[in-house]
Amino acid sequence: MERGSNFPNAANAASTMATATATTPTSTTTTATAAVPPKRKTTMELVQQRFKSDEEVQLIFEAYQIIGQEHVEGLLTLVSSSKGGTYALVSFTLLRTPLTVSNDLKINKVFPINKSFQLTKDAKSSITQQQFDLSTDDERPIKYYYHPIKTDMESVDYEEFVAHIYSCKKSMSSAETHEEKVLNFRWLDDYREIGEVKQELKKRESQYIVYRDITIYCATWNVNNRPCWENTSSLQPWLARGENAPHIYAIGLQEFETITKIMMLNSNQLQMYTSQWIRKMMENLHTENGIEYEELMSVRLSGIILAIIVRKQLRPHILRCCIHKVPRGFLNAVGNKGGVGVSLQLNEANLCFINSHLPAHMENITARNEDYGIIENDMRFEEEGRPFRTISDHDHIFWLGDLNYRIQEPPGYQRPGPMSDASTFEQLLQYDQLRNEMRHDRCFRGYMEGDIKFAPTYKYDVDTDTYDTSEKQRAPAYCDRVLWKGKRIEQLDYNSVMEIRQSDHKPVYAIFQVQIKTRDEAKYKRVQEEVLKAVDKRENDNQPQILASKTVIDFGLVRFNEHSTRDFNVYNNCSQQVDFKFKVKDAPINDICEKWLRVDPCSDSLMIDSERSIQLRMLVDPNSITGLLRKMCTTRGKCDFDILILHVESGRDIFITVTGEYQPCCFGLSMETMCRTNRPICEYRQEEIKELMNDVSPEYRVTMPREFFLLIDYLHKQGDRLRGIFQSYDRRKALSAKFNDVRDWLDTWSEAEFPGTPETAAEALLLLLDLPDQALLEPFVKDLLISKSKSEAMELIALLSPPKRNVFMHLCMFLREGIERHDYELSNVASIFGRILLRSSEYAMTIDYANRCSEFMRRFIYIETSDAIVGGNGHGGATGPSLQT
Amino acid sequence: MTAAPYNYNYIFKYIIIGDMGVGKSCLLHQFTEKKFMANCPHTIGVEFGTRIIEVDDKKIKLQIWDTAGQERFRAVTRSYYRGAAGALMVYDITRRSTYNHLSSWLTDTRNLTNPSTVIFLIGNKSDLESTREVTYEEAKEFADENGLMFLEASAMTGQNVEEAFLETARKIYQNIQEGRLDLNASESGVQHRPSQPSRPNLSSEAAHVKDQCSC
Repeated sequence: MERGSNFPNAANAASTMATATATTPTSTTTTATAAVPPKRKTTMELVQQRFKSDEEVQLIFEAYQIIGQEHVEGLLTLVSSSKGGTYALVSFTLLRTPLTVSNDLKINKVFPINKSFQLTKDAKSSITQQQFDLSTDDERPIKYYYHPIKTDMESVDYEEFVAHIYSCKKSMSSAETHEEKVLNFRWLDDYREIGEVKQELKKRESQYIVYRDITIYCATWNVNNRPCWENTSSLQPWLARGENAPHIYAIGLQEFETITKIMMLNSNQLQMYTSQWIRKMMENLHTENGIEYEELMSVRLSGIILAIIVRKQLRPHILRCCIHKVPRGFLNAVGNKGGVGVSLQLNEANLCFINSHLPAHMENITARNEDYGIIENDMRFEEEGRPFRTISDHDHIFWLGDLNYRIQEPPGYQRPGPMSDASTFEQLLQYDQLRNEMRHDRCFRGYMEGDIKFAPTYKYDVDTDTYDTSEKQRAPAYCDRVLWKGKRIEQLDYNSVMEIRQSDHKPVYAIFQVQIKTRDEAKYKRVQEEVLKAVDKRENDNQPQILASKTVIDFGLVRFNEHSTRDFNVYNNCSQQVDFKFKVKDAPINDICEKWLRVDPCSDSLMIDSERSIQLRMLVDPNSITGLLRKMCTTRGKCDFDILILHVESGRDIFITVTGEYQPCCFGLSMETMCRTNRPICEYRQEEIKELMNDVSPEYRVTMPREFFLLIDYLHKQGDRLRGIFQSYDRRKALSAKFNDVRDWLDTWSEAEFPGTPETAAEALLLLLDLPDQALLEPFVKDLLISKSKSEAMELIALLSPPKRNVFMHLCMFLREGIERHDYELSNVASIFGRILLRSSEYAMTIDYANRCSEFMRRFIYIETSDAIVGGNGHGGATGPSLQT
Repeated sequence: MTAAPYNYNYIFKYIIIGDMGVGKSCLLHQFTEKKFMANCPHTIGVEFGTRIIEVDDKKIKLQIWDTAGQERFRAVTRSYYRGAAGALMVYDITRRSTYNHLSSWLTDTRNLTNPSTVIFLIGNKSDLESTREVTYEEAKEFADENGLMFLEASAMTGQNVEEAFLETARKIYQNIQEGRLDLNASESGVQHRPSQPSRPNLSSEAAHVKDQCSC
């Protein structure tokens, strides 16, 4: 074989690859996809990557499967394990062609090359479509196809493939006999598709099943309607044969009473008759020291009785006993003919016993065959909650009874000699209907019968050993038989008993040695542990996984009302498609991220080896600033912007930390905080402003925030240009283009000219008042909403913190001036400012909230009620802030 | 034989909590793989492992959530406590600070799980006797005062690892048997799986057999 030279090369490549894989870390969470290999790996190398360093890929063979209508590309690879000393064929599906990464190879089946391994060439193979079957361990064969012309030069051709497999199988079987213990297929457990534990245990039966010998004694007798008590002689010659006491007796009787009598008896009487017979049987069993028997169960159909008697110590090992009857005979229902059966499980083996009485008379061969077929078909052992068992579902089947098949001698045939001669039996049996029918597969298909070395058991004159001398002169026949079906059954004895003469039939018995499938509990426990471990391992190893290129996303310096974006990648590095999504967080967030973040996409599917970029967009705007500042204030230590939960469907979660430094800004800060600053806000760091925000002392550096004063001051100087401002206010509205210039002007305490227009200043003023966490007039919003008069309200205003109080008074004065000058309308201003200063999510839903807010403001900015304003002057520094710098 | 619908009778959810670097992931790995994972990276998120065990002839599938111990993740990991039937609270016997933080971990556990959640305290790294900072007696006393189960274990040698996980399961199972755990409550952390009936009881079958005999 010229291509045999492939092997050493492959082995070299294999060992190089194995070293490479061994040093690759198995799991990392923070690094991205591995670099693209510089040179394309060969198929052989890629396959070898799927195995461990002590496992070597010997050859690859291109083979495809047809699943449904689909043609599924695959590879069969012959792999050897130095640890196990064994070979196996591993069947891969190619998820993508051409093959570029080993992840595209999916194992779909593993065939250990052991004794049971079979490769069968399908006879249907044509030139264009070659096919063969692979099977192992009693499993159903799996069909593979191959192209006559290979596409991958590394692949061997079919003849070579077959030759190698056979040489492996041969070397295994010769090695097995020498050093049995060294060889094992345990290494394959890592590659097997582990199914359901029970199925897996069944598959590995050979690892824990042992066979225990037991003796089964089958006996049958047509008692010719003679009542039990008339049988005075011992039944021991029939039931106590053989060397050892059997483990199980299956004793069948036919015609235990005439059908007419049976129909006259009531059930108690019948029960008594049956019991008498069974008692008689029990009294005549094998007697051996220390062995006791008990009746397991018995079943009667008309005159047909089957009793199963077992050794007492065997009883605990017997499970799932059930019976069934199939009546035949008169009207096919009376049951003077028919069959009864008992099914039971002993250890891990299923046993079945049938006693049947088939139709009589020489000519009724077809009727006998038919009744047999019906009994075989209709015998169903049913147990609640389980599927029924048929006769053929059993491992060991014993069929006894008066089968009534006759000896059909050709006309004029002269019997060769006396009926006691063994050679005569042989001659007679040539004409035995049962044997003849079985030979032609017309009945008892698959059943066996031992050699018959006894005289025909029918028909004798009662109480004699003489064949029928009556007028009818019935021909002698082997009516009474014992057949069996199943593996591991050996017949020890098969005979009739001449000395029991009460019936026109002689009793027959057969003794069997049966190897019963039994579980070695210690081994079973070990295999079970292994299976469970393999199932766990598969589950843990096959968890879908993705890698995130980063788990910390740093936005750097984040400023109010400025967008920034960051990207990171997620990469599917496992061998299956992965679905991922960002998890919705618990209340109060109820979203996958905080308000100042957007994530795109929130979920997606990743094919094997594919990558997806995730974009995070950050924007601290009027709608999110309050929440961010609140989060900063309440978090111990450094506050992350967010932690996203990247969830892999049926896998683990990865936390993506979103961090950065928020550049403090006047918007969103409370009046108190602003009054605590001693330098422009832009010079504060996040941590420093957090400290000021959490400061509750009544000490302030200024009486009124400088930022507020600057805006009012600017607006105040605009005269006519204020006309028409404060028309409306909506926090969600996009901010004007100049807004960020105004922001910087305020945050830097700029000496420069105001960078915006009166409109931007008005917008900034409203936001400055509206964005703090607390409304300006808190904690008295509720009381102020229900206050009836200005003086009543004034008493509460006086209790506000000095910064708030001063801002309020100063604002009212400013607004009043504008109204006085008719720059803007009282009702507009009262409505807008009232709702800002008395902002309340709690009361916003009450019916007259808007009116109350307006009404409140009106009292303070309406000219006609000017008395109170004068009074208000006395409280605050309405003449302008006194800065303490 | 009919196939059982599941490989197990129950699912118990566990969480593993404790400071960063006390060996939570290594304990999980030792339990599921029977191997020590050297140079284990910090868990950034929540890892997940399963193993089927046997308690009282019942197959129980443990679903174990191994959480990140970093302080910054504390708020996020809190959402994983819900519905845990068992909580393994881990400290490092060679770092007193990890022991000192136990009361805070315990507070979270008590607040976020249900009263029947079994809490098992594990003093990990018991193989590092020479650098021990927390005595067994001290931790035992803490465990007793707070009604916690307790063992010192080593994810490195495997000592007591199996025991801690299994003891927790036995305790949960006992709670079920004694009716202290409501299986119908969604937060119990236990799911019952109807499995194939085990081998039929011999005595009941014997009675069944006798019935059929009276023919």
